[in-house]
Amino acid sequence: MPMGHTATAEAGSGGLTATEHRLANGLRVVLSEDHLTPVAAVCLWYDVGSRHEVKGRTGLAHLFEHLMFQGSGQVKGNGHFELVQGAGGSLNGTTSFERTNYFETMPAHQLELALWLEADRMGSLLLALDDESMENQRDVVKNERRQRYDNVPYGTAFEKLTALSYPEGHPYHHTPIGSMADLDAATLEDARNFFRTYYAPNNAVLSVVGDIDPEQTLAWIEKYFGSIPSHDGKQPPRDGALPEIIGEQKREVVEEEVPARALMAAYRLPHDGTRECDAADLALTVLGGGESSRLYNRLVRRDQTAVAAGFGLLRLAGAPSLGWLDVKTSGDVEVPVIEAAVDEELARFAAEGPTAEEMERAQAQLEREWLDRLGTVAGRADELCRYAVLFGDPQLALTAVDRVLSVTAEEVQAVAKARLRPDNRAVLVYEPTHAEVQDEDEEAGQ
Amino acid sequence: MTELSTMEFHPQPQAGEAKPWAFPAPERGALPNGLTVLRCHRPGQQVVAVEVFLAAPLDAEPEGLDGVATIMARAFSEGTDKMSAEEFAAELERCGATLDAHADHPGVRISLEVPVSRLPKALGLIADALRAPAFAESEISRLVRNRLDEIPHELANPARRAAKELYKELFPATARMSRPRQGTEATVSAIDAAAVRAFYERWVRPSTATAVVVGDLAGTDLDALLAETLGQWTAAPGEARAAAPITADDTGRVVIVDRPGAVQTQLLIGRVGADRHDRVWPAQVLGTYCLGGTLTSRLDRVLREEKGYTYGVRAFGQVLRSAADGTGASLLAINGSVDTPNTGPALDDLWKVLRTLAAEGLTDAERETAVQNLVGVAPLRYETAAAVAGTLADQVEQHLPDDFQAQLYRMLAETGTVEATAAVVSAFPVDRLVTVLVGDAAEIAEPVKALGIGEVTVVTG
Repeated sequence: MPMGHTATAEAGSGGLTATEHRLANGLRVVLSEDHLTPVAAVCLWYDVGSRHEVKGRTGLAHLFEHLMFQGSGQVKGNGHFELVQGAGGSLNGTTSFERTNYFETMPAHQLELALWLEADRMGSLLLALDDESMENQRDVVKNERRQRYDNVPYGTAFEKLTALSYPEGHPYHHTPIGSMADLDAATLEDARNFFRTYYAPNNAVLSVVGDIDPEQTLAWIEKYFGSIPSHDGKQPPRDGALPEIIGEQKREVVEEEVPARALMAAYRLPHDGTRECDAADLALTVLGGGESSRLYNRLVRRDQTAVAAGFGLLRLAGAPSLGWLDVKTSGDVEVPVIEAAVDEELARFAAEGPTAEEMERAQAQLEREWLDRLGTVAGRADELCRYAVLFGDPQLALTAVDRVLSVTAEEVQAVAKARLRPDNRAVLVYEPTHAEVQDEDEEAGQ
Repeated sequence: MTELSTMEFHPQPQAGEAKPWAFPAPERGALPNGLTVLRCHRPGQQVVAVEVFLAAPLDAEPEGLDGVATIMARAFSEGTDKMSAEEFAAELERCGATLDAHADHPGVRISLEVPVSRLPKALGLIADALRAPAFAESEISRLVRNRLDEIPHELANPARRAAKELYKELFPATARMSRPRQGTEATVSAIDAAAVRAFYERWVRPSTATAVVVGDLAGTDLDALLAETLGQWTAAPGEARAAAPITADDTGRVVIVDRPGAVQTQLLIGRVGADRHDRVWPAQVLGTYCLGGTLTSRLDRVLREEKGYTYGVRAFGQVLRSAADGTGASLLAINGSVDTPNTGPALDDLWKVLRTLAAEGLTDAERETAVQNLVGVAPLRYETAAAVAGTLADQVEQHLPDDFQAQLYRMLAETGTVEATAAVVSAFPVDRLVTVLVGDAAEIAEPVKALGIGEVTVVTG
């Protein structure tokens, strides 16, 4: 039987609490009560992502995620979607470098159904998995790749920069979508083996958040998940360790039919879960977050050399994080002009550090982002799983914002000085193959 | 390893007892300056959402200045009588706030989200922006150049390019709706600070504006706060704009926007139909969901889950402009993208789905699932303050009563299979659909012509 303990609200957790439990088969469970709205979120993180894929089988983790919606032992066809949506719920799954997650948000009185469905596919997916769904979802995923990456301008920039940032053979060298050739090569047996290796209760964390009765919820979890056997087929992921500094500037120039020149870059940054990573987040926010950042003010407002300029942070726990620069040029402006300005701003920032006002703004922005993420039951369920899977302690999700707010200007300057340098980045330059004169826009929303 | 699961199976559980939930009813009032205010207390929602609607519609833009409403909307956050553009942006971000402003056919919407502790400061900034925008020549010319730089990026995006072509096809060239909401290169280039200020002075005033405030307001004296901020905004009363009637040509036809080498074809298939003031709206929502609301709707069941032609195709109704006198309209459309070699077969299947729907109708089971989903997801959908504020502001700009959404849920539950079938079949008649395809004409034109879904023309650019 699960053993639980009730956590008291920690300082700074905004009154939110979470309790942790573990079933005999190794499934970790996190529960968080919140009765404001009659909804409940179920989130299941499997500790498997594209970093676990092997050469020649990129994209398999994500393709497999699609197969998890194609029926399981007691659920026919598209039943996972049909039953959840028919109960007034919403659901989906996503695959990243480091994990695969599945989630349902349900009206509170339909919570048990979501638990039953997740247990059914965790324990019995292979009873339903067949060639027909494999072939169909292979085509669907290839069309997903075309739609999101291959058929849009700059669509493959992320893939190219990732490949430049992590060396050949590194588990993060390729992105979760995978290559067309590898998607074509994946077999039903690959999918079966993937399930047998990674889809086990002892390789997952389940969180349930919202208008729930914790005792009843735990009893349901025990009932539905408790008999799924654990297994230890999983190999530890390949080592993602790399030196702190790349040591040279990687560079690729892409000549493609894109609407404007672009300068993109990825800086190697500290691992997620460290204080230095929070400091880097603040540095990137001061430099390139929002419309009062240093790069926006310099390139878009003053120099007027860019149409858009910003920095983002891709937090990674099993490899260095990436600081993501994206600048699209204005008019005929050439990339070296942009690059010189960026380098100048970064060097100045490393030398001066952030002002008190900049720190206040950046911390206020990141604080609101955290409030947004923890403000919905689904967001909170996902963060609890994230901290449980990647850092071993879901409670860290509830205090994450305090850690960001405790970072000092000196720490922000230190990480900028150490990491935001030209010899610690991969650079991707886009040069349009021909400049078409076009005009106008429109958007059909949904 | 064995293929057989050793887990213990249990029967599918039954639902517990549903807990009551209702779409929140706002409190409606007005400030002495004429500003209408809707407020809604949502316990626990620490990030407050504020929506301001300005009755400055796109068809009020002067001839040749399409995009002036957009530039004005963006210029609200580029300085006031107290602050420069950079100072304003910095102060807003110091509040941990996000601000979005955009112009659409009914008017301009400003959306603010901010932690409740900093609401007073942020509301003060918005009030200053509306009361005394700087509209400095230097900032306006920068916004104009920035907007011109954005246009090629939008045209390179297949979905946006398709939308531009569909609007151009559907509406007469003289109608504002036929032209891009944010203007063209020619019209945006003609915009200057004087034009922005003239548009502002003519169309923006508290007496025709509405502010919606939603969030955990328990510790906030909202009346006092509004009096100090938005209450300070004054302007002379102005005219109301009578909207021109909407006409559209939905003769079945196909336009291919040529993209040599494209690996996919972007589809946008649409026409104009009933808006939310029409009694058919609930049935149209229900029927459209059954046709293409989700991955298990009719279109994706075939195009995605059986054939694998697409990552997903959706049918939807999007209000363009709505009015109580029945002059409103919505865009009824199907969109998605399919791989280039399967463009012909995918369209063939799409039309088969529509014909089968017209011939056989929806099933009671489909209708039941759709109602369960559309009504059941309401508490999820409206968990955040921003979602509630957005819907309340939509209702305002569409001249709907404040309880429209609440009533819509009741009406959806009462709508039968026959009504939903009739509504969706008349929303998507197979011979009255304008099809825009952004893709490789050399590959797709012949197979599409062979389908007989209308005359096919190819355009470039």
